[in-house]
Amino acid sequence: MLALCGSAMAMAQGPEGFFEKNVRPLFIAKCNGCHGGANPAGGLSLLTREALLKGGSRGPSVVAGNPAGSLLMKAVMHTAGTLRMPPGPKLTDAELANLTQWINQGAVWGSSAVKDAKAETAKYWSFVAPLAAKPPAAGAWAKNPIDAFVLAKLQEKGLKPAAPADKRTLIRRATYDLTGMPPTPEEVKVFLADDSPRAFEDVVERLLASPRYGERWGRHWLDVARYADSNGLDENLVYKNAFRYRDYVIQAFNKDKPYDRFVQEQLAGDLLPDTGDLKTTFERWTATGFLSLGAKMLAEDDPVKMEVDIIDEQIDTLGKTFLGLTLGCARCHDHKFDPIPQADYYSLAGIFKSTKTMENFKVVAKWHEHVLAPKEDRDRLDAHLAKIEAKNKEIGKITRGENEKLTRAAKQKVGAYLLAAHEVRETPALQPLPADARVLIERDASSFDNGNAAKPVEPKKPNVPKGAKGPFYAEYKVTVEAAGDYQVELRDEERGAGTADLSIGGVLVKKGEGAVQNREASPDAGGWAPLGIFRLAQGENVLRLQHKNRFPYFSRMRIAASPLAAGKAAPRTLVQIARHYDINPSILEQMVEHLERSNGAAASVLYAFENFGKQRPAGEWTSPAAKLLEGFTGGTRQALADRYQTLFGEVAESAPEGDDARKALRELLTEKFGPFRAPDDAREYYAPSALNDLARLEEERKTLEQATPEFPQAMGVRDGDKITDLPIHLRGSHINLGQMVPRRFPRALAGENQPPLGPNTSGRLQLAQWLTGKDHPLTARVMVNRIWRWHFGRGIVPSTDNFGRLGEKPVNQPLLDWLAVRFVEQGWSIKAMHRLIMASNTYRMSSTYDERSFETDPENTLQWRFNRKRLEAESVRDAIVTVSGGMHLVDGGSILTYKDRQYVANTSKRGGVDYDRPIRAVYLPVVRSSMYELFTAFDLPDPSVPQGDRNASVIAPQALFMMNGSVVLQHTRKLAERLLAMPLTEDGARVREAYELALSRPASGPEVDQALTFLKRIEKELPAEAKDRTLLQWQSFCKALLASNEFIYIN
Amino acid sequence: MNSHWNSYLNRKLSRRDLLRVSSTGFGSLALAGLLGAEGQANPLGVRAPHFPAKAKRVIFLFMHGGPSQIDTFDYKPLLKRDHGKPLPFAKRRVVSAETFNLLQSPWAFRQYGQSGAWVSDLFPNVAKHVDDLCFIKSMWGSNSRHGGALLELHTGSDTFVRPSMGSWVTYGLGSENQSMPGYVTICPTQSHGGANNYSSAFLPAPYAGTPVGSVGVPAREARIPFIENHETPRNLQRMEIDYTQAMNRQQLERTGPDAALEGRIESFELAFRMQSSAPELQDLSGESEVTRKMYGLDNPVTEDFGRQCLMARRLSERGVRFVQVSHTYKWDQHANLKRDHEGNAREVDQPIAALLADLKGRGLLKDTLVLWAGEFGRTPTAQGSDGRDHNPEAFTVWLAGGGVKAGLSYGSTDDYGYYSVDKKVHFHDLHATMLHLLGMDHLRLTYRFAGRDFRLTDIHGNVVTDIVG
Repeated sequence: MLALCGSAMAMAQGPEGFFEKNVRPLFIAKCNGCHGGANPAGGLSLLTREALLKGGSRGPSVVAGNPAGSLLMKAVMHTAGTLRMPPGPKLTDAELANLTQWINQGAVWGSSAVKDAKAETAKYWSFVAPLAAKPPAAGAWAKNPIDAFVLAKLQEKGLKPAAPADKRTLIRRATYDLTGMPPTPEEVKVFLADDSPRAFEDVVERLLASPRYGERWGRHWLDVARYADSNGLDENLVYKNAFRYRDYVIQAFNKDKPYDRFVQEQLAGDLLPDTGDLKTTFERWTATGFLSLGAKMLAEDDPVKMEVDIIDEQIDTLGKTFLGLTLGCARCHDHKFDPIPQADYYSLAGIFKSTKTMENFKVVAKWHEHVLAPKEDRDRLDAHLAKIEAKNKEIGKITRGENEKLTRAAKQKVGAYLLAAHEVRETPALQPLPADARVLIERDASSFDNGNAAKPVEPKKPNVPKGAKGPFYAEYKVTVEAAGDYQVELRDEERGAGTADLSIGGVLVKKGEGAVQNREASPDAGGWAPLGIFRLAQGENVLRLQHKNRFPYFSRMRIAASPLAAGKAAPRTLVQIARHYDINPSILEQMVEHLERSNGAAASVLYAFENFGKQRPAGEWTSPAAKLLEGFTGGTRQALADRYQTLFGEVAESAPEGDDARKALRELLTEKFGPFRAPDDAREYYAPSALNDLARLEEERKTLEQATPEFPQAMGVRDGDKITDLPIHLRGSHINLGQMVPRRFPRALAGENQPPLGPNTSGRLQLAQWLTGKDHPLTARVMVNRIWRWHFGRGIVPSTDNFGRLGEKPVNQPLLDWLAVRFVEQGWSIKAMHRLIMASNTYRMSSTYDERSFETDPENTLQWRFNRKRLEAESVRDAIVTVSGGMHLVDGGSILTYKDRQYVANTSKRGGVDYDRPIRAVYLPVVRSSMYELFTAFDLPDPSVPQGDRNASVIAPQALFMMNGSVVLQHTRKLAERLLAMPLTEDGARVREAYELALSRPASGPEVDQALTFLKRIEKELPAEAKDRTLLQWQSFCKALLASNEFIYIN
Repeated sequence: MNSHWNSYLNRKLSRRDLLRVSSTGFGSLALAGLLGAEGQANPLGVRAPHFPAKAKRVIFLFMHGGPSQIDTFDYKPLLKRDHGKPLPFAKRRVVSAETFNLLQSPWAFRQYGQSGAWVSDLFPNVAKHVDDLCFIKSMWGSNSRHGGALLELHTGSDTFVRPSMGSWVTYGLGSENQSMPGYVTICPTQSHGGANNYSSAFLPAPYAGTPVGSVGVPAREARIPFIENHETPRNLQRMEIDYTQAMNRQQLERTGPDAALEGRIESFELAFRMQSSAPELQDLSGESEVTRKMYGLDNPVTEDFGRQCLMARRLSERGVRFVQVSHTYKWDQHANLKRDHEGNAREVDQPIAALLADLKGRGLLKDTLVLWAGEFGRTPTAQGSDGRDHNPEAFTVWLAGGGVKAGLSYGSTDDYGYYSVDKKVHFHDLHATMLHLLGMDHLRLTYRFAGRDFRLTDIHGNVVTDIVG
């Protein structure tokens, strides 16, 4: 691949080559991140030689031939004062040497990456429009021109077509081919009895008219449309509305929508002239889901990269699906094999850049969906959403205002916070009461006197009544004989039980964490945990435990007299300390946390306070703030805190320009995760009026949200708000932009002189019209080749999705071209192509082995017989479910129980999707990266890449599915029940019915005998205790029959 | 055997290496040509490497979430000194979230072994094996999000769905066990790319990783999909298969030779063998008490990952080419670094050390390549008060066995471990090097799809020859 994708530029010789090899990559890796793009840092762009010579705000950057005089060199050598480039580690010596040499040699730039389309003197076959050749004169065998083309090729090699298939084979083949399901025994019987020469044509017509046809052939298209019901690349979000596109495709096939129209709708359905019919409009919008269904990196941190990656996916899909070209190759360089220069890629990219696929490129990004409702409803919805947004804004405004009040007050009291935090950190942890302590009161948790927590208080429960709103609390009345200090303890027996606030006599004394121990602090074994030593009044006191949304589990509470020596003051809790200093307890907690983390760091602006009274090495304090306290000789902790408070007060609003010391101080006040941020529970401290307003607004918002009108939605695109061309992305990098290129179509196909697409439209509609022009060399060929592939198991061009030079050549180009021309002539009707192909003798050949033909053409490339085909994943499952009689036919819809954009559950095996639902497999969700095991085992293509040529592998997991899959087990049982319920008197007749159902043929005498023998042997082997013995025998027989090759290989 | 068969056989014989194919016991010619290409008859048959290999198989210990290099194996004394200071140079252009000043490691580092490698107190048991390990300290990737980085680590691409490295290895070398899949992934993650991290993408299906269990499923309950049903006794199932096979053979008589039909007959036999040997995977009762204890199966903390590691050894021993075990999405400490990195390390440290000792004791380490890696590292700068953000610019992985230079520390990061600076190794280089150790040239291990020859390393990758022993 190096040869394929390695940059041609790197191979150039001389100074240009030196630049491309040693300098440009360095610029790209180290510089252009800032010095590239539309607004380069310091006005200096490193994208062109001219820009570099001109330089930025500091003047010319490079003086050709004079490295020592070039600012660029000084910056990278770190000899230009503070200007040191690039940020981060200095360049290596080798890199510096390369730069020096390059400037010495005159700073020669590489060749422009913009090249014109290669002049193609001899055009590749697929780039020349097909001409319908006259079918060759052929023998009597040829029933229609297809046969003539096929026969001519066979005769060239001395091959003969195989004998015609018998009628049973033919109806089974045609039914699976067009509907993906087995023919019923009745249908077989009718066909056998029909002697008319049009009997088979009648079968074909019946099948084409069946809704089952679209379910089968629509699924073929879904392979090339890389259809899936979830994103699945990085973040597996549900595409809840993707199914509308799937159903659109199925309907399009059933209605025989002309292929040109089908293509136009998928690429530009939103831009087609309005018919005035809403249903048509919605259908077209839904069709554009084609462009949106791809797998996307929804959690890419770089939004620009995310956007270009999504565009790339669209171009790659478009190329493979409609043109059979690997356009994606030209993202980074001119296509090495096909005449697609990089410029043409970005011409197409401009079209999709001007298209709105996404609502935003945030992590996790949101894709666009069309609202399938009349204009007035959509306007109503928009107006409604705007109302919700307005509420959000009001709520945000109040919240910000209140937060600002809180933090502004705190910033004026830095000294108090420091002293308080110091006290908190210095307060020793309380010890549980000694074993011999005299417990005065001990109560069960559930014995509370008053409260809204659930009773009894139980482990592993939220302990709140269902549906009730918090806060939840429990009050315990305790009576002591004398006022004084008492230690309160809870018995904590559950890890992670939760936390609660403690109030005594209506005064908060302890907050959250610690009131009841949380998981981190909980030991493996339960025990008594002290809450604190608190003052209780003589007589009755009310102890109240409270939490916002749950009630923590503890088993018991006990109270004893303070164990501290008489007269020793009880240590204060954080809440009590905050109250003492008149500061906010939550912000105090943040300050404590900050000091814990800083831990006296030399770089801390609070160093002096943190290390007060400690012996630290002189000059260790490295923060610029150090100089503000130089010579401070206050002497006490309090004085130091006061000094800090003054200093911080000065910078509360702003720090003087150029004053590093004050700037550093101010950073502590403004740091996003710093101690003076608004705490998580800020709301507890809001003014009552603000709380009232918030409660009202939130209620109003909730009401609005609940009243949001709901309409069906479909994934899809529309033209963007901004129509724009794109520059070439050098080496595919969105940071290294080259020359702008106009939006247009690949020039090797559409020519150099294309009318401009203009500033008012993305150009998708024109693109679709160009693709479906009558003379387009690729569109019709690619599609008829696929139709051929899906009938015969192998394309005339075997690489169905690559008609470029690296694809395979057609084995029978005259046939392909004749079909392509015919396809267009017949109004791009796909059903007409089925009729044509299925009327041929080529289609009706048997799949019989012939030794001589096999020697000559073992792969059957020339079609000397019909390829035996393995049923595809969906048909395997549909056949099993149909034969049992269990199939429920539905017309589309989704069985996903997820909401749109919800994550696919990633823990349980199947993410909660009912894959056993007995509906056609095409209606089961395709969950990317967590696909139904049956789909994976039986070669459903990876739904992130277009695939017109499914594999038909033979692997052990398929056998495991037939042996153990739940669908097989359920439906063989059902089939057994079905056979046993038939009003038949002898088992041989049941065996014959089973063969007719499963294999569309009668069982031979020996086969019946074999089956009966098998049933008897099973009967003997069944465990003695087994019930339903007859059913089990027959189920075994059914399992064996459905596992047979004949069941899933179609002749 | 009729003349059709002779002709068929002769033709195949002239084209393919019948003897070798037969010796795999896979059913000889049956699968010939099923891949549609001139190649190997049995997709999982053993294939010769490009050149003599140092390693025959891989065990990948995946630490999902992004373990912190500077808290595990990349010792940065200056980080302690400059704790609380701002990072003295620019952070990367694109970051997941803002980070603040430098945050020292909560763990002490010590030197171990002859090599004197530094290891933090998080990995006291792995530390005892440092002389068998080869650290790459200068790893870097290009994606700062879990999904992109996981895909880069597993498949080399954070843009497209591509075959995973396990699939490439199995495609290149086949499997030495024909009753087991060639590439097994135990309890894989289902998020951040999910199955794309072990899918074969456009490579043929036999090279896809076979999941045994899934994230959230305890290792003791992990199973291969469809590997069992609780309705059909084994003897009955065998009779059913025999009956199916009889019908299949009769049909073959009617149709004449057909590789796919015969291949499917074989596939049932393989499936039955897989089903019979699968319980061995979970059944660790044959392991000695000492072994079970060594892997920590007696301790609820280490039991699950220990079981995964022990299963990995058993699979490797039985010739499975590529085994991945996953410590799923636990290492993402944006907060609670101290508590959770410690908890994570406690779950894996002893089992990993046991695996290394066990492989060594059995003589397997010399040709088993063990890789320990997360999808990225973490920033030396703090997130909140006790956390670190994702850092694809610098992280440490280690390799053991399989021909790597033991006791080596390769490459380095800056003073704080924010950027890799010296001898940088990208995922592509790691992949190229792993293939090299397995005897394959990453430039030559290609697969043609949609008209292009694809490689695990795409257009990138350099073998890090300095770490090859």
